Amino acid sequence: MRDETQIERAIARAFRPQRRMSRRMFLRQSGKGVVVAGSALSLSGILAACGIGPGGSAGASSGAAAPLPSAPAGTLDFANWPAYIDIDEETGDYPTLAKFEADAGITVAYTEAINDNEEFFGVIQPDLAAGNPPQYDLIVMTDWMIEKMIRLGYLSQLDLSKIPNFDANALDLYKDPWYDPGNAHSLAWQSGITGIGYNPTITGREITTFDDLLDPEFAGRVGMFSEMRDTMSLALLSLGIEPENATVEQATEARDKLLAPAQAGQFRNFYGNEYYDELANGNLALTIAWSGDVSQMKLYDNSDVEFVVPESGGMLWIDNMAVPKGAPHPLDAHLMMDFWYDIENAVPLTEYVGYFSPVDGVTERVLADAETAEAEGDTEWAEALRVISATANPTDEVLAQVHNYRKLTEEEESQWNDLFNEVVAG
Amino acid sequence: MPRHWRWLVPYLFLIPGGLWLLAFFVVPMLVMASVSLQEGSLGTGYSLTWNFGIYPETIQHWAPQFARSLWYSLVVTALTLAIGYPMAYTIAFRGGRYKNMLLLLVILPFFTAYIIRTLSWKLILADNGVVLGALKDGGILDAGFRLIATPVAVISGLTYNFLPFMVLPLYVALEKVDPKLVEAATDLYASRLHAFLRVTLPLSMPGVFAGSLLTFIPSIGDFINSEILGSRDTTMIGQIIQRLFLNNNAYPEAAALGFTLMAAVLAMIFVYARAVGADELTR
Repeated sequence: MRDETQIERAIARAFRPQRRMSRRMFLRQSGKGVVVAGSALSLSGILAACGIGPGGSAGASSGAAAPLPSAPAGTLDFANWPAYIDIDEETGDYPTLAKFEADAGITVAYTEAINDNEEFFGVIQPDLAAGNPPQYDLIVMTDWMIEKMIRLGYLSQLDLSKIPNFDANALDLYKDPWYDPGNAHSLAWQSGITGIGYNPTITGREITTFDDLLDPEFAGRVGMFSEMRDTMSLALLSLGIEPENATVEQATEARDKLLAPAQAGQFRNFYGNEYYDELANGNLALTIAWSGDVSQMKLYDNSDVEFVVPESGGMLWIDNMAVPKGAPHPLDAHLMMDFWYDIENAVPLTEYVGYFSPVDGVTERVLADAETAEAEGDTEWAEALRVISATANPTDEVLAQVHNYRKLTEEEESQWNDLFNEVVAG
Repeated sequence: MPRHWRWLVPYLFLIPGGLWLLAFFVVPMLVMASVSLQEGSLGTGYSLTWNFGIYPETIQHWAPQFARSLWYSLVVTALTLAIGYPMAYTIAFRGGRYKNMLLLLVILPFFTAYIIRTLSWKLILADNGVVLGALKDGGILDAGFRLIATPVAVISGLTYNFLPFMVLPLYVALEKVDPKLVEAATDLYASRLHAFLRVTLPLSMPGVFAGSLLTFIPSIGDFINSEILGSRDTTMIGQIIQRLFLNNNAYPEAAALGFTLMAAVLAMIFVYARAVGADELTR
């Protein structure tokens, strides 16, 4: 009985669009085949790859913003992660996005094309390097990737005067962020924390530190992330090193700390989004995890699991909207960004995806909606909203425990990748 | 068409296939060869420096994963042959009017996407899933026992996924064997085993050759099975190549590894063809 329901749920999960975590999960694999085939078939891709060009021309990211057209084109290509927007579970439509289309008179071609920062970058990079117009007007990328793309001159400058809601409604945390001074190229979409998820019924004790992941007691039942920055940064924090300022020597220490347990079989595997199911179904006792996943898991898949920010600290990640350089419909993209910074639209988004909203006051609005749901007798939804409200806007308490990623130069990045590859590949 | 142009006809028929090979095989190969010999970075761009040193460097660095991929795919080929030969034999000689249905059953799994099939195994063999959960509850297995994230799971997944590629060519070869030849052999006092070894098996060698290549080549470069069913300690070379290409943007290293893998596979096929005797196969 137990097993049947487990399998059914797992299969249902595999086929059902999921939220942030799983936005990276299932399609990640199938996406790869498409990526490879796609780039092999595009002649311009072949030629671009033949002599891989340098990043965008100098001055692309400095200098003044390219002038925006005076009127919107009426069409917008928006690439996002799977199920990272509110979806009507029954019809599969996007209600808030539909509202934008009706209000602004802009048709949005919304695609869930992004399953992994690096992979998506790998797909769009040849066109951006070659100066071809990108396929998308608006993309969502994590902070460190935004920093890298700005450095390479791959992102358009934003005209914030066209996005008044941002200045009026964004929380201070998301203004003038470390990866994009003055929000010249990006505005936050949603954000969250990388920490530890665990199942107390299996661990038999409370988990508080990163070193618990290395405890031989849990050998073979520990999950790590295949994402280099998250795993290395948490390991650095456990060594008392701030990842923001870590040197290559310190990254080597982090590698050493992870390598011995990895070779001894401490980790079941290095996961992308698949860690979600492994934690939910009990294959993993504890794992590196994303905050929003664990609250969703608690609500929908396994009420036992807990999320904890390690004592040594967690990582704050911020996903951002940005306009690739040369995008054909930039003004439409600006209008779309302004739209999401209207609290009326930010609330339904966060109520669905369950991550930190960059818009001030969302917590209060989610709580108010919980009251309304309660009054209408929908206690289940009210309960879900209360859980979500706890992480609707980041609290000061949580922010005191988290760090940012390091701005890696290209050389450092390749050194860190080499170090991490030793840990991941046995 | 005038008669003296007739000699052109076969070449005309070759054009579509030739263009296909040129566009999707030769050009990408040249690109890959070129990329592997370039140096640079995303910021500065890459330029061709004829950096041949990258080949020994990457091969040495990723030798364990190369060796593991080779080992896994040899085991997979042997397993699919061991499982597939009796299957194909039974369908060809004992299938009777169910032949077509049995063949359909062999390819039936292909109606589902590769990844979904592999993912299903992850669910079926989960630590507390239908199979292991029941065995553990029955006290037959230790509670800590697992299949997923082990080499056994990866090799089983590969074997399962590539089995039809072995069965179908074997079936085609065996189907052509005239039962009268076996009959003649037994009439001449060969035992059934002897008749099989001296008549049926040699005649089915083209199927063994084709089937082995069709399972060995895709499995040595596979990255899905190890990614989904394996762990750090089952990392195959395909995973390394995809990681270097897409996650690390280390294009030259990835291209060099890809090229090396292809060259190694070609060399092995060459040796294999010589050993089996390629001219045997065209009969």
